[in-house]
Amino acid sequence: MKTLVLGLGNPILSDDGVGIRVVHEVANQVRSSEITVSDTNVAGLGLLDSIVGYDKVIIIDAIQTERGQAGEIYRMGTEDFSQTKHFSSPHQINLATALELGKMLNLVMPKEISVLAVEAEDITSFSEECTPEVEKAIPEAVKMVLAELRCQTSS
Amino acid sequence: MKRITIDPITRLEGHGKITIFLNDDGSVANTYFQVPELRGFEKFSEGRPAEEMPQITQRICGVCPEAHHMAATKALDDLFHVEPTSTARKLRELLYSAFYVTDHTTHFYILAAPDFVMGPDANPAERNILGVIGKVGLELGGAVINTRKQNHWIIQTIGGRPIHPCFGLPGGVSRAINEEERAQIEEIGKQSVEFGKTSLKVFDDVVLKNKTYLDMVLSDTYTQKSYNMGLVDENNKVNFYDGKVRVVGPDGKELCKYAPREYLEHIAERVEPWTYLKFPYLKKVGWKGFVDGVDSGVYRATPLSRLNAADGMATPLAQEAYEKMYSTLGGKPANFTLATHWARLVELLYAAERLLELSRDPEITSANIRNIPTATPDEGVGIVEAPRGTLTHHYITDERGVIKKCNLIVGTTNNYAPLFMSIRKAAEDFIKPGVEITEGLLNRIEMAWRPYDPCLSCATHALPGQLPLEVTIYDVQGNEVKKLSQGV
Repeated sequence: MKTLVLGLGNPILSDDGVGIRVVHEVANQVRSSEITVSDTNVAGLGLLDSIVGYDKVIIIDAIQTERGQAGEIYRMGTEDFSQTKHFSSPHQINLATALELGKMLNLVMPKEISVLAVEAEDITSFSEECTPEVEKAIPEAVKMVLAELRCQTSS
Repeated sequence: MKRITIDPITRLEGHGKITIFLNDDGSVANTYFQVPELRGFEKFSEGRPAEEMPQITQRICGVCPEAHHMAATKALDDLFHVEPTSTARKLRELLYSAFYVTDHTTHFYILAAPDFVMGPDANPAERNILGVIGKVGLELGGAVINTRKQNHWIIQTIGGRPIHPCFGLPGGVSRAINEEERAQIEEIGKQSVEFGKTSLKVFDDVVLKNKTYLDMVLSDTYTQKSYNMGLVDENNKVNFYDGKVRVVGPDGKELCKYAPREYLEHIAERVEPWTYLKFPYLKKVGWKGFVDGVDSGVYRATPLSRLNAADGMATPLAQEAYEKMYSTLGGKPANFTLATHWARLVELLYAAERLLELSRDPEITSANIRNIPTATPDEGVGIVEAPRGTLTHHYITDERGVIKKCNLIVGTTNNYAPLFMSIRKAAEDFIKPGVEITEGLLNRIEMAWRPYDPCLSCATHALPGQLPLEVTIYDVQGNEVKKLSQGV
């Protein structure tokens, strides 16, 4: 199963870089020709470009929710993307829309998607480090990604 | 109404906010607008070697990294007092043209087209690129993806890496291209020109031939008579990569034309108590408030402004499209905000033609790609046109080239004042006593914002994808009347 582990974010904007930090750690621990570990700070159509051709994609990203605590990790799976959820609305090509667009245009889209989102404290200050609570969450997120990768290789 | 101060703490969450307060009778009392401001870049860059800036600054924005890379590279040329070789200039501009093709394509089909192809009152579930492709056809949808893919290949080939080029050096670039690559680029150039023509045709069929839309474009609600800023070459034609910054008034008269080093003589920043955003304005004219007209220093830096500030386009098909645009809009300058979408397509065609032209230049495969700097660095300014506006990088270093101070004015920053004014005007014109506030109505307010395509780093995430935006309306008691959120 061709798998992509993709860290999204901005490596110089504090917690916005958590996704990238996580995948760098994952890359150190993954040795498989079936698994590509990568990072990017584009979204929208650019995201579509990145995920085409893979059977499975795991995306790691920062998120800010109304009531979340910094360092909390949420997981969203394929079932959350199977319908066109209105995560956003017109004009924004979010992940769900990108998937539908890919299908519409007969591109080879992943059949399995999961998103691990880490609740961020600060995504507007320039820094190459995450804030303390988010830093602490990185090893946990790495474990979750590796567990998910192990699950598929053993099945 | 008493003065409202927006508490800095409410600025978090990484999305744009439009807040509208109503009077007793339901008319608009005040409109405010916030976007998340990124903090601490100056401190972050202090102590770094200036040569790192093309790599670092392109991380600021997930949408136009190439623009920052290019402005930073030019700032380095200036800092080290070295001219790039002729081939290096052309390679830089070639990459930059490919970047413009991808960026303008993305903006038009994702952000602009849905309002016009589906209609501003269409169901939000359909008012997106899926709806657009549903209507204009899969072939065009495929062409959008393909054009971007091919031009991204050009950026990667010349720039050394996908999306984030790593080729800019003071005095040149790090890599030459060979004949095989050149031929492929030329092929892509031809296809991109066709795509540019097709896109203008789409606009023609969908917008210009639809009287309702054309009326909307020409309406007073979406009209703003501000100054126009853009880079022009020595013939006063639009150039994205190099030239002087020209500013032309809403009356068509040139106010000034300055070289990058002179920017601080012309641009100042206004601080307002209700927001932490600073609003650039033209020093020569002065700050007169959030008003338009020749006496107000507010200026715009958008595709439309670039066309308004120039005397024409440097390539033939784009020039034809430029002339058609102005003849439809009733002459120059055009002060219709929605026409920015049209100007963007004229620029798309120009970028494609320029790309093709440069790919055929006899020098483009030369190995002479760098002049090694020998002077001591001190201070440098580099200016390019980012798709979203004039982008300025200014570095001051010690004698080793280590950054002591830096100042950046990014594309969208130029437009904070006019953007606010466009939104406010739309809010005041559409929200009237007794009129039901529908989603379609709020969408029309957002249509005032979309032409500017604000570029912000928070557009990096999987789920929102673009700048998340929230429009909230409060009645005179401060109760929330209506809220429209996208991607929040």
